[in-house]
Amino acid sequence: MPDFGDHVDNGIFSQILEMDESDHDRDFSEPLVTNFFEQAEDTFEKMDRALAARDLNELSTLGHFLKGSSATLGFNKIRDSCQVVQQYGHKLTVDGVSEPDENICLKKIAEALQTAKVDTAELEKQMKRFFGTE
Amino acid sequence: MHDHGGGNASAHPDIGLLFDLSPLPSLILSPSWRITRASARFLNEWHLSAEACIGQELLPFVQNQLSPSPVHLKFLTTAIDDAIAARAERTSMPMNTRRSVSWRARVIPYFKGDELLAIITEWQEGPLSQLNLIKDEEVQPGLSTDEAFRILVQAVKDYAIFLLDTSGHIATWNTGAELLKGYRRDEIVGKHFSVFYGKEDLDIKKPEMELEICMRDGRVEDEGWRYRKDGSRFWANVVITAVYKDGVHVGFGKVTRDLTERKSAESRLISAYEESEKLKSDFLANMSHEIRTPMHGMLSACALLLDTTLSPRQRDIVGIMDESGQVLLQVINDILDYSKLASGSFSIHSDIVGITSIVTSVVRSVQTTLPPSVHFELFLAPDLPRSVQGDPLRYRQILHNIVGNAAKFTEKGCIRVRAGVQREDHDSYVVMTEVTDTGIGIPEVAAAGLFTPFTQFDATTTKQYKGTGLGLSIAKSLTELMGGSIGYRPNPERHGSIFWFTARFKKIKSLGQIQDWKSKLIRKGDAMLAIPEADVVSLRRELAEVAPVKSLLLVEDNIINQKVMLGLLRSLGFKNIALASNGSEAVNMVRNKPAAYDIVLMDINMPIMDGHQASRAIRDAGIRVPIVAMTAYALKGDRERCLEHGMNDYIPKPVDKKYLIKVLGKWLLHMKDYRKAFDEQMNKLRGYETLTLAPKGNMADRLQQLSLTVRDQESTPDASDKKTGEETNPLKSHGTQSSDETINIVKPTSESGYQHASSVVSSPRFEPLLPPVQPEMLDSFPDLDLQATGDIIITSTHGSHISVEAADSGGDTGTSTSGTTATTPLDPTFDSEKGSDDVAHRDPSTLQP
Repeated sequence: MPDFGDHVDNGIFSQILEMDESDHDRDFSEPLVTNFFEQAEDTFEKMDRALAARDLNELSTLGHFLKGSSATLGFNKIRDSCQVVQQYGHKLTVDGVSEPDENICLKKIAEALQTAKVDTAELEKQMKRFFGTE
Repeated sequence: MHDHGGGNASAHPDIGLLFDLSPLPSLILSPSWRITRASARFLNEWHLSAEACIGQELLPFVQNQLSPSPVHLKFLTTAIDDAIAARAERTSMPMNTRRSVSWRARVIPYFKGDELLAIITEWQEGPLSQLNLIKDEEVQPGLSTDEAFRILVQAVKDYAIFLLDTSGHIATWNTGAELLKGYRRDEIVGKHFSVFYGKEDLDIKKPEMELEICMRDGRVEDEGWRYRKDGSRFWANVVITAVYKDGVHVGFGKVTRDLTERKSAESRLISAYEESEKLKSDFLANMSHEIRTPMHGMLSACALLLDTTLSPRQRDIVGIMDESGQVLLQVINDILDYSKLASGSFSIHSDIVGITSIVTSVVRSVQTTLPPSVHFELFLAPDLPRSVQGDPLRYRQILHNIVGNAAKFTEKGCIRVRAGVQREDHDSYVVMTEVTDTGIGIPEVAAAGLFTPFTQFDATTTKQYKGTGLGLSIAKSLTELMGGSIGYRPNPERHGSIFWFTARFKKIKSLGQIQDWKSKLIRKGDAMLAIPEADVVSLRRELAEVAPVKSLLLVEDNIINQKVMLGLLRSLGFKNIALASNGSEAVNMVRNKPAAYDIVLMDINMPIMDGHQASRAIRDAGIRVPIVAMTAYALKGDRERCLEHGMNDYIPKPVDKKYLIKVLGKWLLHMKDYRKAFDEQMNKLRGYETLTLAPKGNMADRLQQLSLTVRDQESTPDASDKKTGEETNPLKSHGTQSSDETINIVKPTSESGYQHASSVVSSPRFEPLLPPVQPEMLDSFPDLDLQATGDIIITSTHGSHISVEAADSGGDTGTSTSGTTATTPLDPTFDSEKGSDDVAHRDPSTLQP
């Protein structure tokens, strides 16, 4: 397995790759990863809309949602950004301390979302290389 | 001036005559304080002749006449000295005499230029000084004690000090009171002191209560909010003292201090402390999560790798990786345990402990790691109670640590585990557990540091024997938490060590208590997951055998997670996997086919209906299918919350394959099928009702209430035949026959667990009374887990009769099976068909692996 750097938790991701028919036929992992990027893109769009509407609740839900799938695939960087979105959506800092200022929350979320988008784009590139679908 | 008492008549009366006629008793003193003249009034009042005083030294004279205490006499000298120094008039403080009066002297010095000519003292009689009981030394010169105290009280600014009359109305007021409470003296004197109290305090009649207590105890102290004139409040410390004069209650003294600053400092301190505690525990939880997740990933990858075709050399290498990973995981767990213990955040649970079964199971699990040259001997004392109250997991952890050490350091010979009651009192046992080995032993110098954290007795052993050096210190902390101690001594017979520890367990008093715990038995899952990693492989094989006929429901909203879980489950051999993407869908699916699924895997955080609600709805429908929660955070509260909502177990996310295997193995292989178990369970409940509990009617009643309240609604034909008018009373008498009617079971049509034509739905009314526990948890122990955690032990003796060793029997019933010594060749396989009964009854023999 190639090294995806700190983008990917190799232990978890290799568990996913285990489920493929063989190393040459990634019938399971490849569509899964593709699905994930579709899901991520879709979720980012929703997040953008929720951010514009200053809907913290929705942001938190979306953050949790994408955190779940990124964690399952071991995509740690994306997971961490989603965690930030989820937390500030609850008006909490990452350490769980209350952050009552909505503007700060929205700002943090916007930053995390931007990071998540950049990381996702980078990872998608690496994944395409890995699956040879570039 | 020197005319002694002359009587010359002249136009200007002689000054001496005027002195003599003074209405005040007076003395004239020489500069050396010798009496030179006494007025007539003085001689009269002091009952003296002129001869008795003229020429006398003043101080001895006063001493003779009045017998004041030295301190009081000093008032006089002080006054005279002061008067001379100031060249002005001074008055001494009253000097008490034995004749219940006091005298004070007004001192007037006469100077001509700088020369002192004479001193005139005028004497005034008064009552005994009231403050004479107070230590005289404290009184400042120049002030009377009364005055001193009045001024003191009046001037104090930091304390409100005032007097109340007997009914609580304010009588005096000082500067402190004015500053603190904002009332001026003229505004407040005469008002009742309850004006300082807030509404809440007034509602509970606190002011009155305080005076009452004060009358009873002499004083009362309180801290609380008090109100100022302007309505603002302050945190006050109040001391009220009952004041008596000549034995008569005259009022109350009240001293109030403003502690607002201190109070807010305290609360700042407390919140800072709470904050740091929270950060610490969050840090621990995060650490455990962050470190364990990748560790599990790595370990499962190793296990999977071991499953593939490998050359012997590759297998060796992967084996080393796997083993090192295990050690590392253990190290991490140790450190986490240790930091929890050190921070005091480690809690001991209260649960049912089956000591015999824990010991047996620990020995069994360690035994598999031993070379054939080492054998186990197990001695369980006959007086060992079968079930006690304590923390089974921690007892197991300590024992496992010590037995594990023994195994690690013993290459040949034997390891002997001995457990028995060391002492016993009315409500507890102290259980002594001792592990003797014939291993490498411990050098005398190292013995002292054995229980110190991060210590290993020999640097060379660290290389040979892996570990953190934390194990024993954790064990020590745990024994202390369990009210016991731990120790070491060399093996007297052969080379080797003896480690012993004690732990205090409470006695189990009533069946009700057991009943309460049944709901907690779910926690046995913890022990299941503690089985050696090596067994995962065999567990997986076993699981693969039954997987094709098992039916699963996966509830997960996220498509990606769904797919991964499906992939994982399929790779384990499961074929029938139904999907639901939210809780509400899941509830509908389960309700429509109440006996269709062997297990439900439930995400928690989902739209529309979350996992908690869904589980509750399923339980409310009376369906007892095992539900396993899947959640992202392994914080402590999560698990409890899942169990509270009626779920049976818990898998942290992201789901680790090995963990999944263990959980599925536990529920699909080792637990009795929920569809069958319910039925058998009810028979057993009936059994113990009639047999064991017959004489104890109240317990039977309780049991009845707890579990048998459901009346038949869709009962089997023979049960309905027996129905009588009694059926309307759900809590009616005990006895097998009536129980039949009160239980609602639809028996599965076939004994094979795979065909479930009929439903196993019990009346919803059953639910609130019996906790949402898998019935097999109440089961006797063909079940591996019951032994593994030492949960409640109900031994099947004959037929359907059950004996419960719980009540006050103290473990000495005739059917006790723990009394045999040296039980078992312990069966290394987890054969659920073999009861522990079996194990325990085997003839004494040593254990050859």
